[in-house]
Amino acid sequence: MRKPDRGTLMAALGGLAAVVVALGVVFPGSVAGELLGIASRPIMAEIALRLAVPITLAALGGIFAEKSGVINIGLEGLLIISSFTAVLVAWALGGTTSAALWTGFAGGVLASVLLAGLFAVVCIKYEADQIIAGLAVWLVALGLAPFASSVVFGGKNTTSINRFSEWTVPVLHDAFVNSGVGILSYVGHVLLRANPIVYLMFGAVAVSWYVLNHTAFGRWVEASGENPNALDTAGVNVHRVRYASVLVSGLLSGMGGAALSVGHVGSFVGNGTTMIDGKGFIAIATYLFGNYNPLGTFGAAMLFSGLESLQIGIQQFTPYEVPSQLIQVIPYVTVVVVLVLVGRTRIPEAAGEYYESGDDR
Amino acid sequence: MTSISLSGITKRFPGVVANDDVTLTVEEGTVHALLGENGAGKTTLMNVLYGLYEPDEGTVSVDGTERAFDSPRDAIDAGIGMIHQHFMLVDSMTVAENVVLGNEPRKWRGLRVDREAARAAVDDLCDRYGFDVDPTARVADVSVGVQQRVEILKALYRGADVLILDEPTAVLTPQEVDDLFEVLGELTAEGKTIIFITHKLGEALHAADDVTVLRDGKTVGALPTADTTREELAELMVGREVLLDIDADAGAPGDTVLDVDSLTVTDGDGIDRVADVSMRVRAGEVYGIAGVDGNGQAELVEAITGLRVPDAGAVTFDGEDVTQRSRRHHIEAGMAYVPEDRHERGLVMDSDLVANGILGSQRAPAFTTGSRIDWQSARTHATDVIDTYDVRPRDADATAASLSGGNQQKFIVGREFERDPDLVVVMHPTRGVDIGSTEFIRERLLELRDEGTAVLLVSSKLDEVTSLSDRLAVLYEGRVMDEVDPDTVTEEALGLLMAGQHPEEQ
Repeated sequence: MRKPDRGTLMAALGGLAAVVVALGVVFPGSVAGELLGIASRPIMAEIALRLAVPITLAALGGIFAEKSGVINIGLEGLLIISSFTAVLVAWALGGTTSAALWTGFAGGVLASVLLAGLFAVVCIKYEADQIIAGLAVWLVALGLAPFASSVVFGGKNTTSINRFSEWTVPVLHDAFVNSGVGILSYVGHVLLRANPIVYLMFGAVAVSWYVLNHTAFGRWVEASGENPNALDTAGVNVHRVRYASVLVSGLLSGMGGAALSVGHVGSFVGNGTTMIDGKGFIAIATYLFGNYNPLGTFGAAMLFSGLESLQIGIQQFTPYEVPSQLIQVIPYVTVVVVLVLVGRTRIPEAAGEYYESGDDR
Repeated sequence: MTSISLSGITKRFPGVVANDDVTLTVEEGTVHALLGENGAGKTTLMNVLYGLYEPDEGTVSVDGTERAFDSPRDAIDAGIGMIHQHFMLVDSMTVAENVVLGNEPRKWRGLRVDREAARAAVDDLCDRYGFDVDPTARVADVSVGVQQRVEILKALYRGADVLILDEPTAVLTPQEVDDLFEVLGELTAEGKTIIFITHKLGEALHAADDVTVLRDGKTVGALPTADTTREELAELMVGREVLLDIDADAGAPGDTVLDVDSLTVTDGDGIDRVADVSMRVRAGEVYGIAGVDGNGQAELVEAITGLRVPDAGAVTFDGEDVTQRSRRHHIEAGMAYVPEDRHERGLVMDSDLVANGILGSQRAPAFTTGSRIDWQSARTHATDVIDTYDVRPRDADATAASLSGGNQQKFIVGREFERDPDLVVVMHPTRGVDIGSTEFIRERLLELRDEGTAVLLVSSKLDEVTSLSDRLAVLYEGRVMDEVDPDTVTEEALGLLMAGQHPEEQ
């Protein structure tokens, strides 16, 4: 079967959305009208952006690792360990002040970087299978974080602490919100006053895009994943590039996990699949859909989180009686459908293989 | 002036002396061929010069100064560049990005790669040496010949004055080979020095100013190409007189063994790769198939050997319709197959020769006890093949990957011929094989024919198909253009047929 390319797929999705919007405008009382009414509330976009943060950041990390040739399937584990550690550190410092929260955030990032570093050593130095090592990262974090929480807090869920307070863009926010123009007011609500983790995500997307496309390091990352031999003979140490990339994946995932716990929720939930709940795996799906491009990946993450936010909105606002379990499954079904339809992502040539330098012979 | 001088180089590996007191002198601004059979020590010697190996004895001098290279980095700094047989390029990146990889020009205090500067540098080099390469093209989109030029540009960008090319023509089409030799001429005209490794006599004579011949790790001759002949070089390489042209007696054909009737193979895009091909191969004859690669040979052979089911037509083998039968059935019925790609289909590279020797016969009663493989008889079999077909090293425990190309091919040929087949399907039996082994394989093929075996030979080497075959079909775009008598057909007529024209239509 010939698969449609991304452009066609996005056009089809856009077309579908346009049809729903058109129907909603024409028939305000219909299902489409209800959906449109829900989707157009600013709160929906705000929720979508916040939900996208851990997914996008982990996906950016995954891009760096996989483009360099190390498939990091342990993003989920990095999110779990950083979200817990961030709460732990912030709580130890009182858990109320902004300084405590940001220090907790840094602590979470550090924990993730350390775990990623361990993963890197196992994969690069000891040539372990990347998939198995990545699963181990997830399982270790999945066991360790709730266990540590039980020891410290007496339960799998930590005590609630404060979370980041919203940032407001001075002057502009008030001007936009009070402008009286619908679209400007919407932008003001959604983008000019937001949780700092949202701005952090925008920054990380832009910086990742720049680093991968415009710096020498970005070129080395690509060469390291496509043909490490070429990079080696050009005089660049392949192992060093791969270590750096995996550590970057730990850094970005750590930011994602800590953003969720101390930035957005204000506690760590360790029941079941923890508060991360598969976001690390969704992140892998989004960067594959985004074809390793940070911008496309951000778009894919927004698609998922937008549907997730819509799903929450439908549950809260809809007049219809639909089982919530059915609605909750919408974003996941969409991801599966999209991935099946895309199927065109080209994985870096040398991804998953360890590299032995010729100089060592 | 002498550019490179290697003297008294000895390099030992556990169990072998790869280079034994080798001397090589290369004059500045010349093309120097390093000629020898596979395993003669050519690549080892160049790896010594390039700093990959440290010699046990002997000295390396560049421009009259003695040097000791610890790594390729040192060699690059001394102005030596190596173009490997397998290109070291990143397919997803552009030509310019590949050329500057690792030494990117930067701007904004190093925070941004200066793409314009990289492109300009590549354009400059192209202008200077007369290369026609688009710096903005993606490497994946350009031909193998251009990729090789990108490798040369990489070395030049890093300031190489001496370029080592390892078997540069192995992957090129004849047209690209001519282009490469032109490029080498332009490089030497600009004062660069070229060393190229080859086992092809014709190329050494044609493209080089001087030639050094290695055999069994020793220098056996160093002479200007103007003063030598093909015959002399061949004898130096092999160590005895070599029959460069075989002249096979005609075979004595018997009954039809293979009957191919109106065979058609259609690919996924609906194009007929093989279109209505019919042929009969009789016992005791070699039936040759000539043609430019990619004109349906691979698909035809796959259909005959049971690797794919044809879309139309029938294959009859020893009187039985085997068109729809499995590959296993074909093997058990007595059809041997020497595949085109020995790494993909002929051998399991990481396994030893014992296991490789019973590939395809793993269920044969001779190698099994009950449902288990009898490794003792497998070992005996592998050792027999190794002895009979002169496979080196003579070690059944060696992995297939550790053998040179020629020895791998001899082992496959031996394994297949020892099946005592009624029909052997042979594809490109001597591709990438040194001349000693080539001669050996061709002789064996004719011996097999004389014993009454039917042989279907596919080769893109014209001299090979014409000299070995008793009858010869020319394939063009999946069709048999004509069946000719290889003893009387002219090379011009064959060339026209291979290009899809009938000579009389001229």
